[in-house]
Amino acid sequence: MGLLVVLAGLPLRAEAFGETSRLVIAQGRYDGNWNPRPTALRRLAFEIGIRTSISTLPEEKILPLDSAELFRFPFLYLAGTDALPSLSQAELDNLRRYVNYGGFIFCDDAGDGRFAASCEREVARMLPGQSAGRIPSDHVLYKAFYLIDRPAGRTLARPYLSAFMDGSRIAVVISANDLGGAWARDELGSWEYEVVPGGESQREYAFRLGVNLAMYSMCSDYKDDQVHLPFIMKRRR
Amino acid sequence: MGELYDDWRIVSLSPWPTWALALLGLLAVAGVVLAARGLRKERRTGRRWSLLALRTISMLAALFVVLEPGVRLLQTSKVRSRLAILVDGSASMQLPTAAKGSSRSAEAAAWLSAVAPRLAALESDYSLEYYRFDEALTPIEGSAAQAGIDADGESTDILGALRSLGGTSQAGRKLAGAIVISDGADHVDLKSGLVGAARKTLESLQIPISTVAVGAGEVKDLAIESIAVEDFAFVRNTVDLQATIVASGMGRLDVPVVLRREGQVVSQQTLHVVPEESRYRLDFSFVPDEIGEFVFTLGAPVYEGEAIESNNSRSFVLKVIRDRVRTLLVVGRPSWDQRFLRTMLKNDPNVDLISFFILRTPQDQPKAAESELSLIPFPVEEIFDRQLKSFDLVIFQNFAYRPYRMDHYLPNIRRYVEEGGAFVMLGGENSFGEGGYDLTPLGEILPVEPAGSGPNEELFAPRLTDSGLRHPITELAASAEANQGAWGRLPRLPGLNVTKAKPGASVLLDHPHLTVGGENAPVLAVGEFGRGRSMALTTDSSWFWSIVASGEGGGTSRAYERIWSNSIRWLVRDPELTPVLVQAVQRSLEPGQPVAATITVRRADYGPASGAAVEVSLVDVESGHTLRADPLTAGADGTARVEFESPGPGAYKLEAKASVDGRPLGVGQDVVAVRAASLERSDVKTRPELLRAISELTGGAFVQASDRQLPALSLTPPEVVEVGRAKDRPIWDRFWPLAVLAACLGSEWILRRRWGYV
Repeated sequence: MGLLVVLAGLPLRAEAFGETSRLVIAQGRYDGNWNPRPTALRRLAFEIGIRTSISTLPEEKILPLDSAELFRFPFLYLAGTDALPSLSQAELDNLRRYVNYGGFIFCDDAGDGRFAASCEREVARMLPGQSAGRIPSDHVLYKAFYLIDRPAGRTLARPYLSAFMDGSRIAVVISANDLGGAWARDELGSWEYEVVPGGESQREYAFRLGVNLAMYSMCSDYKDDQVHLPFIMKRRR
Repeated sequence: MGELYDDWRIVSLSPWPTWALALLGLLAVAGVVLAARGLRKERRTGRRWSLLALRTISMLAALFVVLEPGVRLLQTSKVRSRLAILVDGSASMQLPTAAKGSSRSAEAAAWLSAVAPRLAALESDYSLEYYRFDEALTPIEGSAAQAGIDADGESTDILGALRSLGGTSQAGRKLAGAIVISDGADHVDLKSGLVGAARKTLESLQIPISTVAVGAGEVKDLAIESIAVEDFAFVRNTVDLQATIVASGMGRLDVPVVLRREGQVVSQQTLHVVPEESRYRLDFSFVPDEIGEFVFTLGAPVYEGEAIESNNSRSFVLKVIRDRVRTLLVVGRPSWDQRFLRTMLKNDPNVDLISFFILRTPQDQPKAAESELSLIPFPVEEIFDRQLKSFDLVIFQNFAYRPYRMDHYLPNIRRYVEEGGAFVMLGGENSFGEGGYDLTPLGEILPVEPAGSGPNEELFAPRLTDSGLRHPITELAASAEANQGAWGRLPRLPGLNVTKAKPGASVLLDHPHLTVGGENAPVLAVGEFGRGRSMALTTDSSWFWSIVASGEGGGTSRAYERIWSNSIRWLVRDPELTPVLVQAVQRSLEPGQPVAATITVRRADYGPASGAAVEVSLVDVESGHTLRADPLTAGADGTARVEFESPGPGAYKLEAKASVDGRPLGVGQDVVAVRAASLERSDVKTRPELLRAISELTGGAFVQASDRQLPALSLTPPEVVEVGRAKDRPIWDRFWPLAVLAACLGSEWILRRRWGYV
């Protein structure tokens, strides 16, 4: 596999085209502890930028859930430690429209599982008739860039990710493992939280999952295309 | 009985009704029976029989008186039955009876002349009626039949001709039988022989049909009898074709059979002809690599001494269509622009999408071993060398070619477009001038060139140009006004590769105020290069027309889908978007059928070109010569109709050129194939066995024309029917029946008295 994406020449970076040509993660603001890991997204954006060809802006866009501006940022990060308060009708309508027209939401529980459970409840209200399902381990999300066996975060509270679908596409991913906690790094370059039980290697897997989430949101099922399968099968063995 | 009358019969002239006569008859019988009963004890047989005889004679005499018998005198005449003589007038009768023999029609005439005296002898009892038959039955003179008829009918329908004769009386005369003189080459109801309904129909005619077989010898000929192939095929998919080839009198031979598409060899097979077999099947398969209507011709060489030369080739029209638009999407890095475009293309059932994304650039450090990544090598050579021609459309989305050493593949893409492919470049920091494409072969095919300034990231509202107002790509609504409105509602876009349009390019959307060289910078431009087309969308934020348009404005993503759907249709030359559309009414024609077509002309803005001058010509595909030409004028709806006289067998192109006030609008074409020959004219085989079967089934006789003999026809004898006058003469008013009655009754009474019975 030495030919792996031939490396020569230096393509330009996307700065000249403004923020919409790059991955800028929107973070949802709501009444409650909406930002438990303030440095997490910046670090994740940085890691995505240096690991992949995705051009990122290491600055998240904080927006209320009923904002029309949300549609310019198709990746929405929602975090919390406590239960998500019941969403207003305007918020539900806005988020439903966001998801239906291609938006992607990642809910990250930085607490004891109440936030994840409340997200499942609110998304079920947003998408009537749907309920959260487990993402199977062979889903393209786990091979969007890195080959990942199981989801890891700051903790391993739950060995799976939950999802809501929009057709065949995952529209909402819910994690109870505090990925933001594993990504958070302070200004001095120190990791803000210890990762348990796996330590630094588990932190690496948390970043890899973050990269795959970003990659999936932008490429959806690209890695399920026929052309990729023989290579991936070989490496999975 | 008098000279006027030549026949007579006994009739009853009694005015009594039949039932009364029957009752009297019964009474007479009862009279005899009673007499017999009264005499049964009489032992003297002489007496008994004498009395019984007298009673019986009395009763008969009484009946005679009551019945009033008479003689009817009749004037009669003999009516001749019809004998129909049917001579085959179909085109196959022009063929020779055997190799280098005389024509079958001449052979039929010779037979009729030879048997003419014997036929003449039948005329006292039969009325001879001569007919010529092909697809219809026509009466002819006997002398004309003997002189030889001009055989040019397009089919042989023996059963139809016999049915038309009618099996029962016509004008009071009965059909006693028929003589059919033919080669038996029937391709209508008796195509499969004397079976099923055809057999029943023949039986129901109930007349003896004698048959005279013309030409039983073997004729040298090689013919492509039929070709079984679908009317349309999918591009890049295998087309199977079965040809039936008939060889007769060719001996042992290897025949090269070649399939050509408008002169170009597509496939070839060798047919091994052996004397023992006459019918062969050859299978051909090929893969059409171009979309359109094409004339294919399957042909074999013409050998010396063949009866028919024109049946050695056969043409057909195949419409090659696209099953799905095979699209190659090459993406320099994941982005929202890529995300929404790929999702839309992937969900479009008319698009077969192959995409390649660069997920890691040379600067990126994934912090993992290769085995932990799902990345695959970027198969540059496979895509841009081997597979490139298999795509209908190639899209470069913010893709930098330099890191992948693609310099020497870029000429392939230029050639691909030149030869009819479609190419799109979307904006981004690695596109157009920013990607250095202006100095490459791709710079030649793009409709825009760099302006020399860097990208512009300010928000702008793309402006619909005059060209864009009616162009199919930018048509979001039917009317120009509604279209303007639809574009006005779309969100403003950030990010633009600043370029300028090349001469000849059509700018459909431009920047509202950013100018380059006095012209507004193009946002969406299209152009033609060689036989292909290209499109430049100089922004990387067209995805705003999807999720942002639907979210912020409360609208939908329909505009985005429509723009791309329109673009793809235009890029791959959807036939419906061609400025000059030529549609033949029928693409496969029989010999003699006129060539008709409708030409639809659109203006450059795709509105109907009413009043446009349209020059239509019919061009021979083989020679390239224009055979016929017709100047037309398009009607108010932009259409014109043309009809050319049949050009004879072969493959032809209908080419149309349209212009308005001398300005060309475009050209279009369609193809037609006129069949080399009908089966009637191409099948040299005679079928004496069919004719023999007809005669055997109907009780007729069979003879070969070469025998010059009239066989025993087994005709129904002619009927004698009464005509003219009749006259009744009574018998009862003579004296003697009453005298017999009185004498018998008196004698019986006397004898009974004497012998003591009363």
